[in-house]
Amino acid sequence: MLFCACNEGKEQTVELSGYQSIDTVPMLVMQVQKCSKLYTSEFKVHKIVTHDDVVRLRGSVMRQDYNIKIPLGDRKIAIPMDATLKAYIDFSQFSDKNIERQGDKITVLLPDPKVTMTSSKIDQKNVRHYVAFARANFSDAEMTDYEQQGRAAIIQSIPDLGIIDIAKENAARVLVPMLTQLGYREENITIAFRKEFNQNNIMRLLEQ
Amino acid sequence: MPDLVKILALIAFILVFVWLAFFKKDNSVELGVDNQIDVTPTQIESIKEIGEWEFLSISNEELVDTIRKGLFSDDHLVRIYYGTLRLGINMHQVKPRWLTVQGDTVTAVLPKVGLLDKDFIDEARTKSFYESGRWQAKDREALYKKAYRQMLNRCLTPANLQTAQENAEAQFRKMMLSMGYKNVQISFEQ
Repeated sequence: MLFCACNEGKEQTVELSGYQSIDTVPMLVMQVQKCSKLYTSEFKVHKIVTHDDVVRLRGSVMRQDYNIKIPLGDRKIAIPMDATLKAYIDFSQFSDKNIERQGDKITVLLPDPKVTMTSSKIDQKNVRHYVAFARANFSDAEMTDYEQQGRAAIIQSIPDLGIIDIAKENAARVLVPMLTQLGYREENITIAFRKEFNQNNIMRLLEQ
Repeated sequence: MPDLVKILALIAFILVFVWLAFFKKDNSVELGVDNQIDVTPTQIESIKEIGEWEFLSISNEELVDTIRKGLFSDDHLVRIYYGTLRLGINMHQVKPRWLTVQGDTVTAVLPKVGLLDKDFIDEARTKSFYESGRWQAKDREALYKKAYRQMLNRCLTPANLQTAQENAEAQFRKMMLSMGYKNVQISFEQ
């Protein structure tokens, strides 16, 4: 449906049913940093962030606390999101102190692996929300707030996902071929980590 | 008649509510919602062994907006996207005999420096800056794609690739020297 409006003698046509998006004001802040990180493991994780938005009446009457659900109508939202976690070894402080050699045997002592979230994606098309008649729709600010909480929940769950152990194994899988190219025999290579040096001999883990 | 009872009950409820809230000092009343998300599991969908060596990290934030023209007023949606482009070499792309040793000299031919992962936007970090009007999933998806293009254009520049390559050479040389080799020769695949 097209409506015509006159403004200072000029005819303007405004389309209401379809709309035209205009993008303006690009702005950026960049931070460039030199580093030396070897990413050894990639984990794709999925989470459905849900929120049940109920209006509640809280307070106290005669020193008795109360918390009552008000029948103004509920709002519910489910936001599916995918994230990529990567484990890496930071080589920026790597020096001859990380190398121990005895004859034809070599031990590479590595810093502890670290895990970072490298990307995340909201499955916008599959976001589902149900809003009662008396309530307002979820705003963009509310949705991004729930998404940020979901992101924080994924990061908090990292210790439970067993990523660090897999990262240690994969670090050895990347570095051992490099050391064999340098002339070391595989059985003479030990990739070890600063913590739990005695228990976590990665070559031994690979042999199992 | 039942409607009248409901209306009277509602009026009585409001009166009690106002009386408790404003005329009784010991009482308190608050109407609100809990903004916390529910506890849901995080599922691992896949685990992959990778060998991405990052030498330059470019953190970027991009303010992206869209406007919908209306008859009386325009609708706006403005969001801030965050992303980190990681430049480096993929160790899974090294050729056979990429690292050779002759005496105390080591020669390395490293793969070309490039963008390590095409997924670099952390969309879950996105901040909503301003919203007027009602926006759909496809509008947010379009903003994401625009932020992606802008970050790629601004960050994946020849200058940044050159800086990443120079740092790759410096870091790899440092590593080989620390392993006891006196001479290190490094080149990159074209």
